[in-house]
Amino acid sequence: MLKPVPMRHVRLLALTEDLPRASLALAQAESFHADTRPPEEQRLDHLPGRTYREQFQQARSRLDKIGKLIPLPAGAEIPEARVIQEPELARANAWLGKIWGEGSHYEEQFRRLDDEERLIKEQQAALGNFANLNIDLGMLRGPTRFLSVEAGIVPRENVRQLEGAAGLARHLLLTYLVRGEQAHVVVAGLKGGADGELAAVLRAAGFQRLPIPPELTSEPDELREELARRRSEITVERTALQARLSEWASTVRSQLQDAQALLLLAEPLVTLDPSIRSAGDLAYLAGWVPARSVEGLQRQLGEALAGPFALESRVPRREERPLVPSVTARSRLLRPFATLIKQYGIPQYGEIDPTPLFAITFLLMFGMMFGDIGHGGVIALAAFLAHRRLPRLYLFGILAGISSMGFGILFGSVFGSEQLLPALWMSPLHDPILMLEVALGWGIGFIVLACLLGIYNRVATRDFVGALFAHHGAVNLLFYLALLAGGYQLARGDGFGVIPSLVVTLSLLGLAVFEWQHLSAPVGERLLIVSIQTLETVIVYLSNTLSFLRVSAFSLNHVALSLAVLTLAEGVGAAWGHWITLAVGNLFIVVLEGGIVIIQVMRLEYYEGFSRYFSGDGHEFKPLRLRQSLRDAGQSYLG
Amino acid sequence: MTATASQAYLNARVSIMSARLFTPAVIASLAQQSLNELATSFGLAALLDEQLPSRAKSRAVEQAFIRTLLSELTILVRPMAAKERALVLSWGRKYALFNLKSFIRSKLYDLDQSEVGEDLYELPPNVQLPQQALFGAEDVLELLRQLEQGPYSLIARQAREVYEQKREPFALEATIDQRYYMELAHRAVQFDGESLRALQDLVGAILDQINLMWLLRFRFSYQLSPSETFYRLLPSFRLLNRDRLLTLVNLNNAEQVMEALPPPLDTLVAGSTTLIEIQRRMGHHMAGQALRILHVSRCGVARALAYLVLREIDFSTLFALIQGRLLNLPRDLVEIAVELTGKAALSPAWPPRPEPLRDAGLDRRC
Repeated sequence: MLKPVPMRHVRLLALTEDLPRASLALAQAESFHADTRPPEEQRLDHLPGRTYREQFQQARSRLDKIGKLIPLPAGAEIPEARVIQEPELARANAWLGKIWGEGSHYEEQFRRLDDEERLIKEQQAALGNFANLNIDLGMLRGPTRFLSVEAGIVPRENVRQLEGAAGLARHLLLTYLVRGEQAHVVVAGLKGGADGELAAVLRAAGFQRLPIPPELTSEPDELREELARRRSEITVERTALQARLSEWASTVRSQLQDAQALLLLAEPLVTLDPSIRSAGDLAYLAGWVPARSVEGLQRQLGEALAGPFALESRVPRREERPLVPSVTARSRLLRPFATLIKQYGIPQYGEIDPTPLFAITFLLMFGMMFGDIGHGGVIALAAFLAHRRLPRLYLFGILAGISSMGFGILFGSVFGSEQLLPALWMSPLHDPILMLEVALGWGIGFIVLACLLGIYNRVATRDFVGALFAHHGAVNLLFYLALLAGGYQLARGDGFGVIPSLVVTLSLLGLAVFEWQHLSAPVGERLLIVSIQTLETVIVYLSNTLSFLRVSAFSLNHVALSLAVLTLAEGVGAAWGHWITLAVGNLFIVVLEGGIVIIQVMRLEYYEGFSRYFSGDGHEFKPLRLRQSLRDAGQSYLG
Repeated sequence: MTATASQAYLNARVSIMSARLFTPAVIASLAQQSLNELATSFGLAALLDEQLPSRAKSRAVEQAFIRTLLSELTILVRPMAAKERALVLSWGRKYALFNLKSFIRSKLYDLDQSEVGEDLYELPPNVQLPQQALFGAEDVLELLRQLEQGPYSLIARQAREVYEQKREPFALEATIDQRYYMELAHRAVQFDGESLRALQDLVGAILDQINLMWLLRFRFSYQLSPSETFYRLLPSFRLLNRDRLLTLVNLNNAEQVMEALPPPLDTLVAGSTTLIEIQRRMGHHMAGQALRILHVSRCGVARALAYLVLREIDFSTLFALIQGRLLNLPRDLVEIAVELTGKAALSPAWPPRPEPLRDAGLDRRC
């Protein structure tokens, strides 16, 4: 279960015209992870899928834009997997282009109505403010014999610069109102030669004229009514436009769904495009496949391809190891734990998959730190009820809850009360020293196991020197075991012991010499670094071991918190007060303490465990897949 | 990290990084190196690839320099507070605007997607444009609308409004450039105290250079009116402030403008006969200001920005050298090109000589 899924490197040689069929077959097999490295053969240097990809991307972008206008239903199944050749894709793209042309026409009309409405709003706002202008309003309507006058709006950030520019064109600029991003201005000056100059500046500044109707001075109320009426008209026009859009949408919706399905079928070839090379009629494609799936892939390609093809497979070379993708846990129970591991990284190919070990140790530590039948039950129930909202993580909650309940049975704790159920083992508070000893023993076992896994991982990748001397390698483990043996003897009052002292000294010396040889710095600097690192080795192993004391500390903390809640509840006289205190107190424990315990366990796993045996710099196996439903497509095409 | 600790960390970072800047002696020694030696010294493997044409090599070198510059920018902004990070990132967005201009050109002239792809720079996520969405845009207006959500919203909105009114590529590109510098200036004045003073000096020096070049070009090469020229400029907080620009745009020829410049710009550009010569001298002046801030200022963000400005100039110098070698230009011509990029002339060993290599403003080269 811990061993990685063995992978093979495959190389497919097929006819270029068969590429769409090959990509569809590979996507249906769901076992092919593309290798984007160029082939060793220099002659295979052509990129045959470029036009196909460009057509696809343009079509997809158009469908995406149309999708914002016409929401397409998600969840319908693709009728049947079939090969999409380039001419069909090009036709679909051209059709989508035509539809988007029509759609953008509607969009443009909506935008025009929005702009018009915005301008009317500005006019309405300006109406009241014209009264503040110390000039004859009739003059704002247009040029007079000697004066040119313009009233309008301009982006606020352009006003200062425009003011200077207008001055150079012998005009004055007056700002009489600022609303949001827009400033209302009047530009006035002597009529004459500089009008053209000013017009160019106004255009550059994004000046929009606000027409001043003649009624402004004589019948302002009528003008207000007129503007309100025009806004109502715009609302009516918008509704009518929406109706026309819906009508048009109903005529093209089913064809759009067909186009969407077509793009889903064309997607595998586009995904593979960076990995495909060709020379004439011969196309090349390489990738990684789980060893157990190679035969099935060969069979599926044989059934799908019209022309001859060759599928060669081989074991990954040693130098390719960092490029090989790792298959992560597929078990339904382990999947939520794999999600948490991915926050740290992906195991490199060849390394032990940490998921099962992580799952077991996580649940054990969480249960011990938060052991309670009632609280665990609440967590499990809450996770079960949230299974629709948290489909990837709800199982994690259920398992954590069950673990908590299991330890609750051992501790005899139900919502903090130890009176309701006899403890199968004992309550943590009855013997705190024993609890601390158990936690220490657990921590030692955890660290030793983590070191052993780290050594195994290095041996598996043939890094024998690293397995021996690198951080948390065999010499490090030897030092730790000797330190533990010496410490144990010291605790018994027998002194540290000669053999442990000797092993500790020699192993530290060995590590220091190894470090010294790998440093390229002046002697003084090397001495300093090696001394600090040796000291760090001692401190890290000591502190890491003591770090596990938190496992028992939190189990004691849980009992103490529960006791505090029970005492508070008993102190409240009224019955309803008692129950409310109990409910709120227990909720507090589940949410706050539960959250803290999860963080603490994650910390132990990441820092005391993963840092010893898990590099996390691998790549996840992501096989080419054919997305089967429009719901999946909706996530990418329709946002 | 506390504000004091992050300032100390940033200052230490900048000080360590500034050891990478070229001294005039290093530039002089680089000028003597062959293409292979330059490729080995700077890890430019593309230069040694016999299969690649010169244009592709040049492009690969340019891309490598931009990648290095922006990765250093990413390292420097990491410990910065939001306001500081916004300023430095707004400076780095010039490279994204080069890409935006390539996209605009592709839509204006209906270029193939692969042709545009060749012109685009690979940029880190913090300054990157939403490329897939831009590729999918059908025309310039749709392209600019796509950008109106996100950090380029101000630039994109103003550019779209200008393009809607005047369907001129020149007006569009000029607006993009103007908005870029306007945002930089706007972000610089958000600071106070010593930081404000240092940033005003640095960004002011950049704006002074840009203003003088744009003023001369718009007013006398493109024959724009004084008012339109003024509207397209960006008043600096240093020498070429608003009042000064209002006076300068009203003058009738370049000589009058140069005579009316405030000190020390008047003596700096005195005797220049070409725009290129003025650009070179202003470039040196700006580099000198950046170097002064790097060495004298205690403000981390100003020093970081000064370092990036100088590093960019270094890469320009190196790029000019490599271009010269790739095109087999005579050594003295390459030396002139190196002088034009800025810092070399800070040393008396590099006497200034006028020769065009690159344009001012948002030049495509680094």
